[in-house]
Amino acid sequence: MVLAGGRSSRMGAPKAALEWHGSTLLRHVVGIVARGQQGRVVVVRAPGQLLPALPDTVEVLEDSREGLGPMQGIAVGLKAVAVDADLAFVCSTDLPFLHTAFVRRVLRAFEDDQPGAEVVLPLAHGFPQPLAAGYRTALAAKVDKLVEAERLKPSLLFEDCDVLRLDEAALLSDHALAAVDPDLDSVVNVNDADDYAAARARPAPEVTVQCFGVVAARTAARTRKPQLVLAATVQAAADAVGLTWDRHVLAAINGDQTGRDAKQPLVRGDSVAFLSAAAGG
Amino acid sequence: MNHRRTTVVPETTAQRGGYFGRALVIDVTDGSTRVLPLPQQVLRDYIGGAGLGVWLMHHLAPAGVDPLGPAAPLAFVFSPLVGTPLTTSAKFAVVAKSPLTGFLTDALASSHFAIAGKLTGYDAIVVTGRAEVPSVLFVDGDTVTLENAAAEWGLSAADAEASVRERCGRSWRVASIGRAGERLVRFATVSHDGRHAGRGGLGAVLGSKNIKAVGVRAATKVAPADPSGVLAAAKELRAKSFGAATEKFRELGTLANLLAFNAISTLPTRNFQTATFEGVENLAAEELAELRGVTRSSCASCTIGCEHIYRRKGGKKVRMEYQNVVAVGPMCGVSDPDDVLEASARCDELGLDTISAGGTIAWAMECAERELIDAPWLRFGDGAAVLRALDEIVEGSTDLGRLLATGSKQAAQVVGGGSGDFAPHVKGLEMPGYEPRTLHAMALGLAVNARGADHNRTGAYEADLAGDLDRLDGGRAHALAAIETEDRAAVMDSLILCNFLRGVFDDHFAEWAQLLRLVTGWDVDAAELRATAERIVLAKRAFNLREGWTPADDWLPARLLENELTLPSGRVAGLTPARLRTMIDAYYDARGLDREGRPPVTS
Repeated sequence: MVLAGGRSSRMGAPKAALEWHGSTLLRHVVGIVARGQQGRVVVVRAPGQLLPALPDTVEVLEDSREGLGPMQGIAVGLKAVAVDADLAFVCSTDLPFLHTAFVRRVLRAFEDDQPGAEVVLPLAHGFPQPLAAGYRTALAAKVDKLVEAERLKPSLLFEDCDVLRLDEAALLSDHALAAVDPDLDSVVNVNDADDYAAARARPAPEVTVQCFGVVAARTAARTRKPQLVLAATVQAAADAVGLTWDRHVLAAINGDQTGRDAKQPLVRGDSVAFLSAAAGG
Repeated sequence: MNHRRTTVVPETTAQRGGYFGRALVIDVTDGSTRVLPLPQQVLRDYIGGAGLGVWLMHHLAPAGVDPLGPAAPLAFVFSPLVGTPLTTSAKFAVVAKSPLTGFLTDALASSHFAIAGKLTGYDAIVVTGRAEVPSVLFVDGDTVTLENAAAEWGLSAADAEASVRERCGRSWRVASIGRAGERLVRFATVSHDGRHAGRGGLGAVLGSKNIKAVGVRAATKVAPADPSGVLAAAKELRAKSFGAATEKFRELGTLANLLAFNAISTLPTRNFQTATFEGVENLAAEELAELRGVTRSSCASCTIGCEHIYRRKGGKKVRMEYQNVVAVGPMCGVSDPDDVLEASARCDELGLDTISAGGTIAWAMECAERELIDAPWLRFGDGAAVLRALDEIVEGSTDLGRLLATGSKQAAQVVGGGSGDFAPHVKGLEMPGYEPRTLHAMALGLAVNARGADHNRTGAYEADLAGDLDRLDGGRAHALAAIETEDRAAVMDSLILCNFLRGVFDDHFAEWAQLLRLVTGWDVDAAELRATAERIVLAKRAFNLREGWTPADDWLPARLLENELTLPSGRVAGLTPARLRTMIDAYYDARGLDREGRPPVTS
């Protein structure tokens, strides 16, 4: 669940629509959340809020009341996803370095660390991170009541439920996360123009690209050997190896879905395979 | 004995519109023939190839017929496009009730046999009965002859073909069976010009009729309704066939799938125990092309040229495809390219369907590993063991060979011990090189297809890989996608055009209707072709129903529904019985079938 509402007053522009490596920040975060778990992705927006283009598979929910902060968005989102999911990873739209491994680490804690937990709350960079956390969808009613009572701080929810707090050491005990996000940049958010400028100044993540068969012959190096490149989207990965990507080529990230979504976001450590769309044999 | 019999049937005349409007039915028991008229409505409803084949089976195969009995018909079915300059159209279907599955099987192949066969003056040549002694059946226009095949019996299909042509002349085109067909191995092929009508045991059906080979010779002509229109369309199609959509087939062949499929966990390995293979690099098209590549080749009338020929140890050559390599390579855990090339060549020589042979041997290897069968020599990874198993299957020299010659389904019923759970088949037909757990639309396509676990008649892997669907989250959308690809295949397999041309069409049914219009002169459109596709699919299902199909036959092996796979992304790929059931129900619903998968009486 990605919360896209909020006034973005310090940023001076809607965060959801901020440019991010040829896409938007919201599209990027939605893509990471989609890749980090196996369920659907919902975006909660403010009433009438315009959102940038999103994949068709993303469901957009409207928060009926504006100005009540993230708790209202969490209530709306949890209620909606409770139909077919027990757990939800909830985050804000302003996490440009969110990593799929972080999403997985948080959700896995419900099974591996404390099966009875109702919330998995990361503690990183000196703060609790309620907008990069895991929630049981059964909490929807409880969150709703708090909102009704105008008790709008997430900490008030945590006082009244079973919270598993994961500090940095606990988070990084996950080797997969430690390998790709050792500084826990996943929780770095951008609140103002300076934050945004600093984030944009960082290099794109390092990813591995491998092209197979005739696709390899279309690249600059004409090789099927893995190539390390900096790329924040699948399109950027194709560009980095000099591949002209057309309808005859499919891409797969880490051996998962194949497809033609050029804006699929990449994170450090990803491996992108480009293969022929003609799969007959 | 002098085994030559000649029968003269009504004189053949040149025709227009792509058809002759008749089939020749030959009873090889006594050499008698009859002409079966094919009314235009039948041709329009079923087109040709696989479509017309199922119509013929409905009309000529007695209900409940023993597929290896004399009453069982085997049809060589041509199509309206054969003989036109349209690229990849020199194809024909061989259709019969399968001795491997007990249901319909239709296998396509390409060569000059298709052209010569059609130009005998018939849209189909149907063989029934059983010859008194091993024979070669000749159809020379209106003259049908049976000759003693003593010189060919025991030869490989390729050698038998050469022998017949040497004896009778190069103008003959000859389809033949190998030793496997003679010995009624349930997955024996019919072969010609090095290519096989491979799936479902058609070679055993021909062998059961004591027919070693069928020779055909062109005797007449058939013109399209609009010759200049066809010529223009052929030019356009040929130009498209040189483009990016077919580049993979042209440059590396189907074997190019190997590395790519390994990267996305769709490469069946060690009898579907995993979906990636550690030895994959050794067998990759890219490696083999460099180290063993000899040349490229193409079928008659084809401008794609997907065949890639490799050098074997000792200098002999072999044509390799993705499915061959998977079946006798990763499926059996074999990574030595010499072993894989040799095993594939051995299948060709013996006349065995490589997919079924490899799948059955892989299953036996797992049985040996679990000590369910006493064959300690039959181990995953042992290329010599694969070769030995192939020989034993065909020669029937051991109990194990005779057991495996029946295919994995029937063998598992004998072995028991839970081995049916990992027998890699649907309806008795062994599974091709696409992992269903990571390709859910394909999983459905394999489960419901009339021929059994067959990739060509479903093609649903295309939908899985295109990215519009989550290939690990099968549901109703996957069912609709599988129907679309199944319908496309039904039309392509009936026109017939090569599946590898799929990517060059933008508006498939409309473009195919245009081709059919030019050849036949019919006012056929896309909507009619879609209806035709569904009719063909349902006709196959109805044939199977007649032959004892039950809903349990539309299902996948337990292994694929119980054991999960983990992708490099960390996602778990599982295909539960509930998910498969949901997709099958959606398929039945969208196809207009009842809840148990039966077509409505009116259809």
